[in-house]
Amino acid sequence: MLDSLQLALTNLLAPAVLFFLLGFGAGWLRSDLTVPESAAKTLALVLMLSIGFKGGVEASKAGLSQDFASAATAGVALSFGIPVLGFFVLRAISALDRATAAATAAHYGSVSIVTFVAGTEFLRASGLQFGGYMVAVVALMETPAILSALLLAGSGAAGRQGLRGELIREVALNGSVVVLIGSFLIGAISGSAGMAKLEVFVGPVFQGVLVLFLLDMGLVAARRLKAARSLTPALIAFALVMPLVSCGLGLAISLALGLGAADAAVLAILAASASYIAVPAAMRIALPDADPGVYLTLSLAITFPFNLVVGIPLYTAAAQAMIG
Amino acid sequence: MQTTGRKKLEIIIEATVLRRVEQFLDEAGVRGWTVLPSIEGHGSHGDWSSGDFTPGQERRLIVAVATSDVAQRALDRLASFFADYPGIVFLSDVEVLRPERF
Repeated sequence: MLDSLQLALTNLLAPAVLFFLLGFGAGWLRSDLTVPESAAKTLALVLMLSIGFKGGVEASKAGLSQDFASAATAGVALSFGIPVLGFFVLRAISALDRATAAATAAHYGSVSIVTFVAGTEFLRASGLQFGGYMVAVVALMETPAILSALLLAGSGAAGRQGLRGELIREVALNGSVVVLIGSFLIGAISGSAGMAKLEVFVGPVFQGVLVLFLLDMGLVAARRLKAARSLTPALIAFALVMPLVSCGLGLAISLALGLGAADAAVLAILAASASYIAVPAAMRIALPDADPGVYLTLSLAITFPFNLVVGIPLYTAAAQAMIG
Repeated sequence: MQTTGRKKLEIIIEATVLRRVEQFLDEAGVRGWTVLPSIEGHGSHGDWSSGDFTPGQERRLIVAVATSDVAQRALDRLASFFADYPGIVFLSDVEVLRPERF
């Protein structure tokens, strides 16, 4: 217990978390600090390239394993299932329309790459060794949630307006998935020799990029929260409780499939995380009636900070207590 | 200098559906248009700004000039599109040089 508290405190004082809080504070106080949009997109690309590549190199060392198959199955099941639960909970506790409830639920079924990165940094700092293939699990978990939401909402806007091709492209070939999977494969192919070439870029430089991106996320999250008009106490409660429920589901599946504590912790963190790039992009085409003021605010301005500051140490401690 | 009356269409849409709306214009017989980027704005869903990494914030302004018949055809198509997707269109009278180009 004392160890967990100690680790939670270590997490709170990690540069990544502190830079996020700096950005959040500056955004809240209306500082003129900004990270230009094109720079932010570049930072996001570097993050995805680095974690994809590192994961690929690690996976190539370990080879294909039963654990990878188990974790992938669990991840896909969670991504499909969490939106169904989230949708019915949202419809029960709030007055959200069908489209907005389905779109919001999709965000919670899909994953946040930065939450994954912050979580894996925390696990490394805690001395927990997870499988490199978890990066591939991240990529697999991005899209099933979108399909669930489309089934739940039953909207035909994209089909009616001849935008089905755009939607499929957005879901299957969105930039983050392409870079993540592509870098994973490149890492797996080039192995240790490739790592020797990119070591500085995906290692020390990556840390700097991560804190800069988190600074920007703090700014964007605070500005979004300040501008939020449609938040109710029930929705805020959803954004704080849903990650805990998803973490519980993630750990239960991990236990059933016999995953180790570290992989289970990563899966729990992924289950608890909520998307704010891939899913909203798809939702603007698939469910144009859904309100981004609800789904982006909940996922980016409430759930992401909660996971970053409180959730990651909590889910890790739960994984160790249950599986350890 | 002799000028001739034409109609100007100004269409504001989300960047993700730009290609589709350009197709509508093409199908309606519009012979040329220009697309401009957006910075920020305010509407029924509150403020939006193109300045951050979250998707769905980018808008595009399409400016097109056409004959009255062609503009009407484009408007009819846009009206059914706007039943599903957010967007705005204005129609106004303008004077052009070289009317054979529009």
